[in-house]
Amino acid sequence: MIKFIAQKTAKHRCNRGELPTEICDYIRCFDSAHQLSRSLEEARFVVFDTETTGFDISNDVVISIGAVALDGFRISVNDSFEVLIRRDSVGDSDAVTTHGLLLKDLHEGSEEEDALISFLAYTGDGVLVAQHADYDVAMINRILRKRYKLELFNQVIDTASLAKRLEKGPYYNLAHKSGEYRLDNLLERYGIRLHDRHTAAGDAYLTAQLFQMLLMKAGNTGIKNLRDLMLK
Amino acid sequence: MPSNTIVERVVVDLQKYPPFDELASDILQDLAESVSLTYHEEGEIIFHKGDSLRDHAFMVMKGAVRLFDSVEDKEVLVDLCDEGDIFGVRAFFSTHDYVLTAQVAEESLLFELPVEKIRNLLETNPRFSLFFAGAFAKSVEEIEHTLTEALDPGLNRFREQSYMTFLENETLEVKPVTNVVTCSPDILIREAAKIMSDKGIGSILVVSAERHPLGIVTDTDLTKKVVSVPGSIKEQPVSTIMSSPVYTISGGKTIADMVMLMVKTKLRHFCITEDGSPQSPITGIISEHDIIISEGNNPAVIMKAVMQASDPDQLKEQRDKAESLLQVYIEQDVAMHFISNILTEINDAIITRAIDFSLQEIDDEGRLQRPDIKFCWLSLGSEGRKEQLLHTDQDNAILYEDPPSDATERVHEYFLALGKKVTGMLQHCGFVKCPADIMASNPVWCQPVSVWKHYFSKWIVTPEPKAVMHSTIFFDFRPVYGHSELGTELKQEIFSLISKNRGFLGFFAKNALQNPPPLGFFRNFLVEKSRDHANEFDIKARAMMPLCDAARVLAYELVIPEYLSTSERFKRLEKLVPGMQDLGTEASAAYEFLMRLRAVNGLAHGNSGRYIKPETLNKLERQTLRNVFSTIDKVQKMLNLRFQLDYIRD
Repeated sequence: MIKFIAQKTAKHRCNRGELPTEICDYIRCFDSAHQLSRSLEEARFVVFDTETTGFDISNDVVISIGAVALDGFRISVNDSFEVLIRRDSVGDSDAVTTHGLLLKDLHEGSEEEDALISFLAYTGDGVLVAQHADYDVAMINRILRKRYKLELFNQVIDTASLAKRLEKGPYYNLAHKSGEYRLDNLLERYGIRLHDRHTAAGDAYLTAQLFQMLLMKAGNTGIKNLRDLMLK
Repeated sequence: MPSNTIVERVVVDLQKYPPFDELASDILQDLAESVSLTYHEEGEIIFHKGDSLRDHAFMVMKGAVRLFDSVEDKEVLVDLCDEGDIFGVRAFFSTHDYVLTAQVAEESLLFELPVEKIRNLLETNPRFSLFFAGAFAKSVEEIEHTLTEALDPGLNRFREQSYMTFLENETLEVKPVTNVVTCSPDILIREAAKIMSDKGIGSILVVSAERHPLGIVTDTDLTKKVVSVPGSIKEQPVSTIMSSPVYTISGGKTIADMVMLMVKTKLRHFCITEDGSPQSPITGIISEHDIIISEGNNPAVIMKAVMQASDPDQLKEQRDKAESLLQVYIEQDVAMHFISNILTEINDAIITRAIDFSLQEIDDEGRLQRPDIKFCWLSLGSEGRKEQLLHTDQDNAILYEDPPSDATERVHEYFLALGKKVTGMLQHCGFVKCPADIMASNPVWCQPVSVWKHYFSKWIVTPEPKAVMHSTIFFDFRPVYGHSELGTELKQEIFSLISKNRGFLGFFAKNALQNPPPLGFFRNFLVEKSRDHANEFDIKARAMMPLCDAARVLAYELVIPEYLSTSERFKRLEKLVPGMQDLGTEASAAYEFLMRLRAVNGLAHGNSGRYIKPETLNKLERQTLRNVFSTIDKVQKMLNLRFQLDYIRD
């Protein structure tokens, strides 16, 4: 309901010309109702990952976004996305060792606004999927809020939670054994070859393969449409 | 713009397997961008027999997929695909429905390869299209028709020409010298010698006014026929000393051709003319020197050393050299029929010399007197078929003219002594003795023509299993030394015996069907029709013998008098048997591939190479073997039909 009101408000702002056209195009993607009744086969999922300067949601920033779509249970290489964002800092040395991006690389990146707009154009109304999605969504939302006082309108699925739910049922307490649902552990458990870990696009591609398997499992447990899948 | 990181990732995955490992990186990138990934659980059906074709084929990236046909509600396994295997390729070539069902055997990750992209590659990339021509020629019978109907004429022509080269190699062409120095036949020897020394060349070609080659004058001619001869011969015309006629050939000869020619003719200069005959203008010349520098490793040198050897130890030395030559040829991917021809020539020369030495030794010992009886040394089995590459067993025999009745004992004693000496000498050279003792040193296999005819008559009239087994060795005899007309006589006798006992060919053919080929490989296992998996592959019994036996049966049925190798037999059969056009080429290429594989394996392990561990094969070799298995299957089916073997009871 809150999302619905936010959407209404945003559209008003569009009509008054307060937001750039590209952002308005994104908002209009969500006009069509019934999204949740789409079957798993019909839905378009955008599996994405962000690399950031650190893990402080209020201070660190996104330096790259990678994504690949899963449409009709199919990962299409052609339907993928990758962007670097120009920054003055790459974060502390811990972060640099994780994402491997140097300042030199980031100088060649896009402006934050352009990167965000192209990501939203790529995403459209697709269901966003990410490993520990809350974090990545929060990082994107921070940019959206800062620039346009907006948040993402997309449905979001967290692969860690979905895996947990499919493996252990909805009441399993993740907090006890969070390690089991780290991306590395999940990939290993599902037999997905590790490669390009810690580049945004590389992680997105691996997460997409994981999600593809989870989605198949979900289908087998009687989950028919997005609404069923979104139930936490 | 798709993500570079992801495209690169897919490129890396594709590149791990043929035929994508051969593609340029920009082409691969373009292909990778069009790939989709799908995940499938065990038991899932990817497509059913009779489904219309998808717009993509599939490549297994993880897991396994089984392809099967359903015949009267029974599933017949046709193939098991694992990592790197491509299936559903029908979509590239045909517009008809799938003829097999694909089912996931283990949870699988598949790449979907769009037909459009692959078709483009097939049209523009010959090696790529050959891979699929081979892959597609497998497993499903009606495919051949589909191929001809679906491939455009250009591609088809290419396939015919190069299916062989694909399995063999691109043999290099020897570059002839084209600015040939010539002279007319009536210039003086002195003048010709001056031209040669001025130009710093070793030979001059003597030509007619129309530039047709008449003869050649070489350094050697000058030394032997001029310098060493007293008198003023220098003032005579060159025509008096030139070597004539000149051996003429047409252009475009490969190193392989030239070395073979040099070994056979023992000549050192070859003249190229417009149409290859002496009655046309010259266009170039190839000398031994040109061949040697293009070749590096020269079998003619080994040949020469064998012919000039003065004792058996030197033969052994040359045989060892021949083996290292084999290694080089295998590494360089030289065409198999060329390798086997060269090694056969060398082996034959070694046998010839061993017989020369032995005859001499017996004479020198003075105990036995050389009888005035014609004889012929026969090589049997693989050596008889000119297929002996590595040191495999000796299989040989002596065939001699029927002696007068009072000399039977004495003649037999003599030839047996010869047989023992020669086989001993060959053993010294590295040819292992035959464990079944099928050698000229065995009194049973050292016999006059009449006895040999009797042997063959017994085998042909009463083909009990042991006789049929013997036949497979003895029917491949080939005269190597002595009076080959004795061999011809024997062969004619066999043909006439067979024509009177047609039933024999049926048993002969049935024997050729004893070993059905496996379906292919799945990981490190052989996939057998009987659904069992085995983990070591007997390339001789399971792949080579079925082909070789089939070729022999047909060669005798169709009365082919020449002593041919298995692949030569198939090539010949192709012309003789209607409906065997494609199968002949295919079987011939298949057999040469198997010979190569066996040689590679044998060289790697220092043995006969007979047993192959599937895990040592790369993806392409497995793929090709799988095609070979389906070729064997086709040959066996043809044989079965031809001899109506289903009606013969044991």
